[in-house]
Amino acid sequence: MYKYVFRRIYQLIIVFFLFLVTSYVLFDSIPGNAFQSLLLNPELPREAYDLVIQLYGLDKPLYERVILYIQNFFRGDFGYSYVHYPRTPIELIAERLPRTLMLFAMVNIVAFYTGFLIGKILAWRRGSKSETWITVTSVFSYTVFYPWFALMMLWFFGYKLDWLPIGKFLYPEKWYDSPYDSDVIFVSMIKFIAVASILQMLAFVYTRNIESISARRNVRFTSFMIIIIGSFAYWNTGEMLNQKIYAMDIAYHMILPVFTVTVVAFAGTALLTRTTMMEVMKDDFILTARAKGISQKRIRDRHAARNALLPVVTSFIFTIVTIIDGSVLTETIFSWPGMGQLILDSVLREDIPVAMASFSFIGVFALIAHFIADISYAYLDPRIRIQSQG
Amino acid sequence: MNILEVKNLNMSYETLEGSVAAVKDVTFSLKEGESFGIVGESGCGKTSVAMSLLQLQADNGKITSGEIIFDGKDIVKLNEKELRDVRWSGISIVFQGAMNSWNPVVKIGEQIREAIREHYPDKTKEENTDKIDELFNIVGLDSSIADRYPHELSGGMKQRAVIALALSCDPKLIIADEPTTALDVVIQDQILNEIRKVQNILGLSLIYISHDIAVIAEMTDNMAVMYAGSIVEMGNTKNVFANPQHAYTKMLLESTPSIIGPKKKLRSLDGEPPSLINNDNCCLFSYRCPSPTDMCKNRSIEMKLIKFDDNHYVDQCCMDCG
Ligand SMILES: Nc1ncnc2c1ncn2[C@@H]1O[C@H](COP(=O)(O)OP(=O)(O)OP(=O)(O)O)[C@@H](O)[C@H]1O
Ligand SMILES: [Mg+2]
Repeated sequence: MYKYVFRRIYQLIIVFFLFLVTSYVLFDSIPGNAFQSLLLNPELPREAYDLVIQLYGLDKPLYERVILYIQNFFRGDFGYSYVHYPRTPIELIAERLPRTLMLFAMVNIVAFYTGFLIGKILAWRRGSKSETWITVTSVFSYTVFYPWFALMMLWFFGYKLDWLPIGKFLYPEKWYDSPYDSDVIFVSMIKFIAVASILQMLAFVYTRNIESISARRNVRFTSFMIIIIGSFAYWNTGEMLNQKIYAMDIAYHMILPVFTVTVVAFAGTALLTRTTMMEVMKDDFILTARAKGISQKRIRDRHAARNALLPVVTSFIFTIVTIIDGSVLTETIFSWPGMGQLILDSVLREDIPVAMASFSFIGVFALIAHFIADISYAYLDPRIRIQSQG
Repeated sequence: MNILEVKNLNMSYETLEGSVAAVKDVTFSLKEGESFGIVGESGCGKTSVAMSLLQLQADNGKITSGEIIFDGKDIVKLNEKELRDVRWSGISIVFQGAMNSWNPVVKIGEQIREAIREHYPDKTKEENTDKIDELFNIVGLDSSIADRYPHELSGGMKQRAVIALALSCDPKLIIADEPTTALDVVIQDQILNEIRKVQNILGLSLIYISHDIAVIAEMTDNMAVMYAGSIVEMGNTKNVFANPQHAYTKMLLESTPSIIGPKKKLRSLDGEPPSLINNDNCCLFSYRCPSPTDMCKNRSIEMKLIKFDDNHYVDQCCMDCG
């Protein structure tokens, strides 16, 4: 297992360098030379001009510039934003990223969880009426033209019913005299969700060894309730009590985008799960499990679904990788000022340092996600662990 | 006392071409501690009989009539919950192709533990671990196997572990459906010995299914010869071997080499197994029969087991032919 991890890390590093070089060369070769053209912008202050020339070594040959770029990358130095001068790309990303992560991590977890659950049930109820209907609905939401669908949702829930806010991630009027920056709130929310999910996962892992099924179920339920109660307590004490109303405001604004993207995103998982489950259910070990007298539900969850999980996890990780670039569309429609909008703006307005920093960041993010995918895959499928040792 | 009585069991698969009568009017019984063999060529319905006993036939397979009395209860009439109780702790099965009987992502020990937990929920973890060690010991496996994944074991080890699995809930009856196909001859022999040993130690009843009549001779007290879904000859294994009556049984015996006795030329079985779709109740072997009677050829005699000798029954069509 360790050997496997090390080999993965080693491959990762090579791919990462290739990625840095390629992305630099691609930017450099944009027709008309984006670097130079921006420098001709008369609005740019003189000192900024010199700084940029020096920073990127724009007068040097290509390979020297690449090396300089890589060095700067590791110093975390991407220069300054042309548009938001004197803010740096890192500052901008640090501000935008939590918003995007919050929204899309939420969406993806919800979408994959429900998708997997529904796909599992679909496969198990093969041939029933409910199966047909849910499958048809899933195919619809899988193939629907997403921007149209999102606008329809906005129109219906935001305008027609007027239940949910249209666009933006907060009501500015509520925040006028707020002691907190929205970023602070976002970060607390992310921290809270991360801690809660890790606790839940730990509870799940540690209860695996309880022999009696009913005792295990009870312990799991108790731990779940404790986490829920703990969350309430957490948000109602001290510092967090003050942050609560702002967090609620953001959460309220998240409902519609989360729901919309979930409806579109769950279907792919559901259909994938359904297909793989149906394959797995033909396997002999399902028959063994039935012969053992195991309950249908347990066979479905423990034997069939557990084996059908592998391709689903892969597709989940691939989706995680595309969270940031995939957020462009959604963030534009719901006016959610996250990474997607930052990328779109920086590209449209030729804010090269920000664009490059964002793309490098996406690259790092993608690589890390793939790495996690490989590791979790090895964890889920013992056969991979063995092959990788050889 | 009879632990199992199968009475006039009929089972058929619904297919697009029509209904396939895989089990036709099968009747046999099994005493406690006894072993019963079912032999026949591929596709004659051996697995279908075995699956019916546990109500595990494919979704398109339906039992149209008959009774399966196990331990005083008719299995055909049980509901899902009651069936789950009978499965594994009453009747357990070693599947044909037991190599694939293991869930690839769960450790061997855990898969055995799961069965025990289902039927004996009050046992502690330590008791279960001891039980698994003991089972592995019986089938000649090291107890460390419990912590391995299926793909880490050889075919023979997997097969032994499957036998341990089958024993895990102290069943009264074990069905072994060609448990040694896909194993090499030496391992086959070891596994057969293992099964026999286990059966003797634990006093289990055994149904042994095979297409190899020599193995049946070695393993069983009583036997049935199946052809195209029906039992054509049944009785004490020794009697059937000493004095085969049905033409099909004779052909099966002549196609198997024997190490004792004078050298004989081996005979191969001519012809194809018949189609099982929608046919009358006459002998389906007649067109392969070396010397069928006129009645048989005219299809004017129905199939029916009649008594030939003490504990030896033969299909009436073939009493005079062969
Ligand atoms: N699910 C099914 N649907 C339709 N027909 C089936 C199905 N399962 C089995 N059959 C048919 O039923 C007949 C008996 O099959 P079965 O598997 O019981 O034979 P078998 O004696 O176990 O053969 P083998 O020695 O090859 O295992 C065969 O003709 C087979 O084609
Ligand atoms: Mg078979």
